[in-house]
Amino acid sequence: MYRDAILKKFDPRLDNILFILHELQDNNPQHYLANADIEKCADYLNIPYSYVHGVVTFYSMFSLKPRGRYIIRLCDSPPCHLMGSESLLDYLKKKLKVDVGKTTADGVFTLEITSCLGICGVAPALMMNEEMIGNLTPERVDTVLEERRQTS
Amino acid sequence: MTKEKTIQITIDNKTIDARPNQTILQAAREYQIYIPSLCAMEHLSSYGACRLCVVEVDGLRGFPTSCTTPVEEGMVIRTDTAEVKGLRQEVLKLLLSEHPASCLFCTEQDECKQYMGTIRKVGATTGCRYCPNDHRCELQQIAENIGLTETSYPVYYRNFPVEKYDPFYDRDYNLCILCGRCVRVCNNVRLNGTLSFKQRGRVTTIGPAFDRSHIDAGCEFCGACVTACPTGALSVKVSKWYGRPEGQVATTCNYCSAGCRLILQTTKTDVIDALPDYDSAVEHGIICVKGRFGITEYVHSPLRYGTPKEMTPAGYNDISWEEAIAKAAGKLSGLKPDDCLIVVSPQLLTEDLFVAQQFIRQVTGSEEVASSFIFDLDGDAASFINLALASEPFETIEKAQGILAVGFDSTYGYSPIGVKAKQAAQAGASLMSLNSFESNLDLLSKIAFVVNSSRWADVLDLTMSRMSKGKAEKRFADLVEMWGSDLNKTCETFSCSSHNVLIVGPGIIDSPDRGKILRSIERMKNEYSWKVVVAHQYTNLAGMFAMGACPGIKPGEMIKEASADKAVVLKAELIHIDLRKKRKLIYLIGDASFDSLPECEFLIYQNALPPQCSRQPDLILPVSLFTEASGTVISAEGRVLQVKEAVAPYMDSKPDWWILKSIAEKMGKGKMKFNDVSSIQGEIKKIIKGFPAVKKRIEFKEIEVKGNVKTHGKGKPAAWKSSYRGIPLGEVVSGIKVIELKGG
Ligand code: SF4
Ligand code: SF4
Ligand code: FES
Repeated sequence: MYRDAILKKFDPRLDNILFILHELQDNNPQHYLANADIEKCADYLNIPYSYVHGVVTFYSMFSLKPRGRYIIRLCDSPPCHLMGSESLLDYLKKKLKVDVGKTTADGVFTLEITSCLGICGVAPALMMNEEMIGNLTPERVDTVLEERRQTS
Repeated sequence: MTKEKTIQITIDNKTIDARPNQTILQAAREYQIYIPSLCAMEHLSSYGACRLCVVEVDGLRGFPTSCTTPVEEGMVIRTDTAEVKGLRQEVLKLLLSEHPASCLFCTEQDECKQYMGTIRKVGATTGCRYCPNDHRCELQQIAENIGLTETSYPVYYRNFPVEKYDPFYDRDYNLCILCGRCVRVCNNVRLNGTLSFKQRGRVTTIGPAFDRSHIDAGCEFCGACVTACPTGALSVKVSKWYGRPEGQVATTCNYCSAGCRLILQTTKTDVIDALPDYDSAVEHGIICVKGRFGITEYVHSPLRYGTPKEMTPAGYNDISWEEAIAKAAGKLSGLKPDDCLIVVSPQLLTEDLFVAQQFIRQVTGSEEVASSFIFDLDGDAASFINLALASEPFETIEKAQGILAVGFDSTYGYSPIGVKAKQAAQAGASLMSLNSFESNLDLLSKIAFVVNSSRWADVLDLTMSRMSKGKAEKRFADLVEMWGSDLNKTCETFSCSSHNVLIVGPGIIDSPDRGKILRSIERMKNEYSWKVVVAHQYTNLAGMFAMGACPGIKPGEMIKEASADKAVVLKAELIHIDLRKKRKLIYLIGDASFDSLPECEFLIYQNALPPQCSRQPDLILPVSLFTEASGTVISAEGRVLQVKEAVAPYMDSKPDWWILKSIAEKMGKGKMKFNDVSSIQGEIKKIIKGFPAVKKRIEFKEIEVKGNVKTHGKGKPAAWKSSYRGIPLGEVVSGIKVIELKGG
């Protein structure tokens, strides 16, 4: 199974827990940590499930709910805010027909909010999975979403 | 003894001697200097979460927490300056901002108290009894010590539903202050790991992974978390509304052979709770669910017999003790030794066992001191007893480099042994577990064999063969295929180590192949020098043999004085108890093993609770249980442990020894002139020097059986699943039924 292959890459040491969890989440087709992921990790590190579950719920970058193929993280920090991220958020919500933290019905996009991405020069900005996209306008958002929807 | 180095420190102008490695808080506590603390707990490492224990230290910036600051030579510490006090109050206020506060600050508190607990069904003031911990709460105590009488913050009520779906204890996390004691005790003391912090910040809660119930998350219901909680968040179902206990009595648990100390919490008539004692030398507070939660419901069962009863054609009639004793004496008189069968439970107190064997020998003239463990073990009784009575002390496990646990699981019992094995494994010992189901040691095991007990002997033999690099036999083929490479590695460590411990659990008693298994265990012990620790349910088995409450063994005969003492020779016929032969009378003393008993004309049942069987006793003699009696038990480690009366005997019930000696007196037979427990102990002193205050562990000679033991031939006796006096705990204690159902 792909999970075993992931685990094998790491020594079974407690200080690897975050790396393991990230990798498991990234490789989960639904971008989240399923119970099976948590159990696998715990068994591999010989620690209780409750411990791993505690770690997962502590960090906001881990999700226990299935998410879309693309996770949109719209920056909410002051520079982006000043450049209109609030109305972009409204636009995104309407366009995707979801609330923050929710996934579109077709399972392609999940809408999230993030704090500063460090690319304030091109505010307003968002992150689409690992990719940064700046200088956003509603039109640009449309193209970006359309592109992704096509490739999925 | 070399004198330990001391460090001089000054706390509040008082100079005291502290030890290196101590924290300020520990040093202060030793000198009864009070520093408030919440998250710090003895037996747990420093944590520094609650910030209540702040102090001032000359030369240190700010206000260090005394529970995390190690002492240093010449340190000057102040615990009660105005600033420190103010800071503490502030910290406590913040802690309380998520804790309902009317139990702490309500101005009507004193007046209210008078009207609480009313049973009127009218609109009377009944007080706000939302917290079961009221008046026995550590948090209330701390608020009082800190002198906090009001709070300036609004209280944020988190509005969690109370979690009541698990057995034994309820959880109301609205009262939780997130001190983390429960989490740490579960993980670091019990090495269980059911609990963890979940989420963070304002929404932090405590619980198992995936919001599972405790029972599904592998909780052992040891109750350590409940004991540790300083608030009413965790509360024992049975005893939560009893209020503050009026007294407490330290005694020894009678549910298994480990002999854990329990601190019984009592009211005038009731035992309401049983707490662990972390300072006990036997189990260090690591008690199991049976001792922690299995006592109140058993000893206060509504089914308990309160008066002697006699069977009549119209059902049971209550009779007086005089009548009952006369009846029993009448039935016992004139019987030939062969006509009656008297069964004595190994869960009686030592004193009762002593009197019981005298009774059988002097009154009925029989040598047949029968006991349910002889039925259970049949032809293997002697080898099991030799193993059990020579069991090494539990601390043998601590330093082990190799551990093999067979038929052993400490989820719902034998915690002191199980946790020691886990500790050793965490410290690097190679642990191997062998069981027919997944055991709670598996997580920390190098190899966890889950195989039918018919294969256990094979696994043991294979281990020995690998240790001595022997050739693989055919019968091992499938085992080698499954576990081969791991096994080689583990056996390698076993053969390099000079300290291997074999933990023998009760699973082997239930196995039809226990003969084979026992022989393999003996080989490991004798030829491969494994040290053996045995865990079993026969609480006072050692007491039984010390007192000679066994066929063919005289009182004291088994006690070893010199290491060269020879084995006691026993004729096989003696331990063969014919369970097919019809008897005129059967007398069960603290036992209820009806399934194995032969037919009889008259049945005397001396116990506390009704048996689970179709054969109704003809005469019922109600006994007082171990919470109501005094005496001793001799534990698996050979320790003589005190049992103390915590509450008066239930209704008209009497101790076992009293009933026996009264019948003997009535019959005018035997020399049992006992007026109280200490007169019996005086008699036992002749066998065991200094009894009952014996410091030394009692050691036993071996038994050597001459001839072949025949089986009793009445089918296989029912497995003895955590029962007390022949009554399965699950029948009486509702929570135990729940966890056993899950286990089964
Ligand atoms: S009862 Fe024991 S095992 Fe269960 S959660 Fe509490 S401490 Fe952990
Ligand atoms: S439940 Fe009790 S012990 Fe656990 S964190 Fe809350 S207050 Fe502390
Ligand atoms: S007792 Fe020191 S911080 Fe809690």
